[in-house]
Amino acid sequence: MKCELPHLRIGEYEAKIPIVQGGMSVGISLDNLASAVANEGGIGVIGAAGIGMMEPDFDTNFREANKRALKTVIRKTRSKTNGIVGVNIMVALTDFEELVETAIDEKADLLFLGAGLPLKVPIEEARKRSTAIVPIVSSAKAAKLVFDYWHRRYGDIPDGVVVEGPLAGGHLGFKKEQIERKEYQLERILPEVIKVVQCFEELYSRKIPVIAAGGIFTGMDIRKYIEMGAAGVQMASRFVATEECDASKEFKEMYVRCTKEDLIIIDSPVGLPGRAINNHFLEEVNKGTKKPFVCPWKCLRTCDVVNSPYCIGSALINAKNGMLNDGFAFAGANAYRIHSITTVKELMEELMEDYLSSSFCNPRSTSSNS
Amino acid sequence: MDRDEIFEKVRTIISEKLGVEEDEVTEESTLDEDLGADSLDLVDLTMAIEDEFGVRVEDEELEKIKTVGDVVNKLVSALGTEDEE
Repeated sequence: MKCELPHLRIGEYEAKIPIVQGGMSVGISLDNLASAVANEGGIGVIGAAGIGMMEPDFDTNFREANKRALKTVIRKTRSKTNGIVGVNIMVALTDFEELVETAIDEKADLLFLGAGLPLKVPIEEARKRSTAIVPIVSSAKAAKLVFDYWHRRYGDIPDGVVVEGPLAGGHLGFKKEQIERKEYQLERILPEVIKVVQCFEELYSRKIPVIAAGGIFTGMDIRKYIEMGAAGVQMASRFVATEECDASKEFKEMYVRCTKEDLIIIDSPVGLPGRAINNHFLEEVNKGTKKPFVCPWKCLRTCDVVNSPYCIGSALINAKNGMLNDGFAFAGANAYRIHSITTVKELMEELMEDYLSSSFCNPRSTSSNS
Repeated sequence: MDRDEIFEKVRTIISEKLGVEEDEVTEESTLDEDLGADSLDLVDLTMAIEDEFGVRVEDEELEKIKTVGDVVNKLVSALGTEDEE
């Protein structure tokens, strides 16, 4: 076993640290966080959903506002780092195609596409601009479908895949009743996805990295999944509690303060279950209180604008801005283990040290003849 | 291939892919509610049907398909089959 962290190679990009910072949309991971992670040798990821929220015409010209803001944020991120920069775009967004085009135009290094199956992707454009495409899936079945579909339609395959287990934060690719079940845990689904991907690796004589995600918290966790065959990991919650994270102080403090019991599963208007930090807002929604709203956007294909008990877009914008009485924060199942706000640099160093301090690698516990 | 033959083939594919008995699959059955297909199953089914019939189902068309009968109708028109009812 090597005592160094393996590099993470996706397409033509190679990160020194095999950590992808999970894209956190509606203003949580923007240029500040993404550039900080990229500067430390990881992969920084901008969350694209709701990115136009600060634009003056967000309510009147939603699609243009999002495109313009995504462009600006990608450029701002580039101005702060020479590292690897990705964009996370939800497939369920009504302007998914436009955001993908925008990100490719801006030469994002990588696109992470989840919350739906990324089937329709302008692959030729992406190849021309050297943008690598990485679907996010939660089962071997989904991985196989995406790879099969691409193989048939495009004669090409994605450049990597993120396998997100049920301990992740935000939207989950599982049915509610599957979340706790053993056979759906990351330890079980990771090897299944690796197996699917291997067939396509052989077919295309190309390495396709599989990245493990969902509830990964320590360097030991990273080691565990790398030893299971993952090429790297995606982590998000821990990056919220950093000074560089683009969310408000109040949002970050929710992470520092929350307990294990606060992390609950909600039914998101996206049509998927989601893991979030319970608060007054969610308690009211759970009790059946409606939060009347007028939808200016129709931002999600899957949102039932008439019957949805609240507007998830507005709720998440409020949360990002610190108004947590009128919103809530998504978070991973291990967010309760976060007790303080740190910096990206310190966090990455801690993770690397922890990774390397396993009994085998730690010189203090290894007998040496020298 | 006439309409009945198309239906028989579609029924076999659906029964295999969704793990339901062939008897349960009628022209009136809805793919999602009656036969329990989720969004992944629908893509999976579409690809299997494309293979079997050598046709291409566009995603816009896929969104309009609700019942097994809809699938058969699409195939009948895609294959230019005479409706022999």
